[in-house]
Amino acid sequence: MLFYVDPHSGVPIFRQLMDQVKSHVASGVLKSGDELPSIRSLSIPLGVNPMTISKAYNLLVHDEVLEHRPGKPLVVADHGAAEIADRRREQLRAALVPAAKLAASMGVAADEAVDLLRELLDQTDGNNGEDS
Amino acid sequence: MGVLEFKNVNRGFGATPVLKGISFAVTPGEVVGLLGCNGAGKTTLINLVMGMLAVDDGTVRVFGQDPRRDPMAVRRRIGYVAEDQELPPFLRVGEVLALYRGLFAGWHQETADALVERFGLPLGRKVSDLSRGQARQVALLCAVSHRPELLILDEPAGGLDPAARREFLETSIRLLNETGTTILFSSHHMGDVERMASRLIMIHEQEKWIDSALDDIRDGYSLALVPGEAATADQLLALGDCLCARQRGSALHAVFATDPEACHATLARHLGREDHQCRPLPLEEMFIELVGRGS
Repeated sequence: MLFYVDPHSGVPIFRQLMDQVKSHVASGVLKSGDELPSIRSLSIPLGVNPMTISKAYNLLVHDEVLEHRPGKPLVVADHGAAEIADRRREQLRAALVPAAKLAASMGVAADEAVDLLRELLDQTDGNNGEDS
Repeated sequence: MGVLEFKNVNRGFGATPVLKGISFAVTPGEVVGLLGCNGAGKTTLINLVMGMLAVDDGTVRVFGQDPRRDPMAVRRRIGYVAEDQELPPFLRVGEVLALYRGLFAGWHQETADALVERFGLPLGRKVSDLSRGQARQVALLCAVSHRPELLILDEPAGGLDPAARREFLETSIRLLNETGTTILFSSHHMGDVERMASRLIMIHEQEKWIDSALDDIRDGYSLALVPGEAATADQLLALGDCLCARQRGSALHAVFATDPEACHATLARHLGREDHQCRPLPLEEMFIELVGRGS
């Protein structure tokens, strides 16, 4: 399944779902025009109150990640290449903030931190796409 | 009109108060998780809704009616699974279902049949020979098959293994999907509360302590870890938003009714130092911190 929830993570479930949709759009797992599962069909296997899913979907429509077409299921909105690049950047940024804070709090020099990231990128080069 | 309304309800047993000054209203479609320690008064509250107990003081209204005055009119619209639901042990499962079908005019046989199949219930087996999980499933089936407007579950997961609990949860969610049923449930399984509830009411020391949309709780509360030498528990408690503070080992743990950033700022201002940590707290930890016994 495309989505999962962790009720113990401390992150509200609607936000977990929003993050996952955004990440799927950024990584290309969900493409413009793809249909989202209905609230009902998602709420049962996830074991989540349908209102929670509805809330996540509505906020994603508000954020223009998803769009309503009259009488049709919810679909992924049209995103230009530039916008998707932005979203990727935004996501990566969010993931790197804790690392940056940690580096600063331990007094690790910027060059050293950047080198480390480069090293990690080299190591994972070639097996990307594992976040789908 | 509200589904459920409590106004300033007091109820005690003998000289012991169990609920004090409880007020809240539940609107259609809400899913309310009722939390509290064992003995906090959750079951008493549910018994007041069902008209099985009378208030000492205050009013309880269910669908605008007094459940003590016309209990049957109210109960026809409610589905109820008690913490220790007693089904007649000498009846076979099929006979129990027939009994409930006779009790509720709105019985929906398709719903009942679908659940019998999903749960794989042995219709010919005697209630006394069922496993605990199966007995709970029969009780749930009886509670939901007349498509109640209000479903009340007292510790629905009590004694169930994780798979059976999940099945129970999914059945309730199906009902939500299909009929928009209002649900009031008490549970010690925070994961279930997080998945199901839209709102949380927590009872502590006889009183309603927290009553909030679940998402607001996530964003509106934080746990502060303060080095023991920086302050005393009483000093933290004197700060406006601090709900509780306790010494835990060499540190103080305090729950604040603000988000972590605001919490950090408040502490920095009052303590004149920065070495405290403030973070969001999962429901389970919040529960333990708030009601926490011992040191």
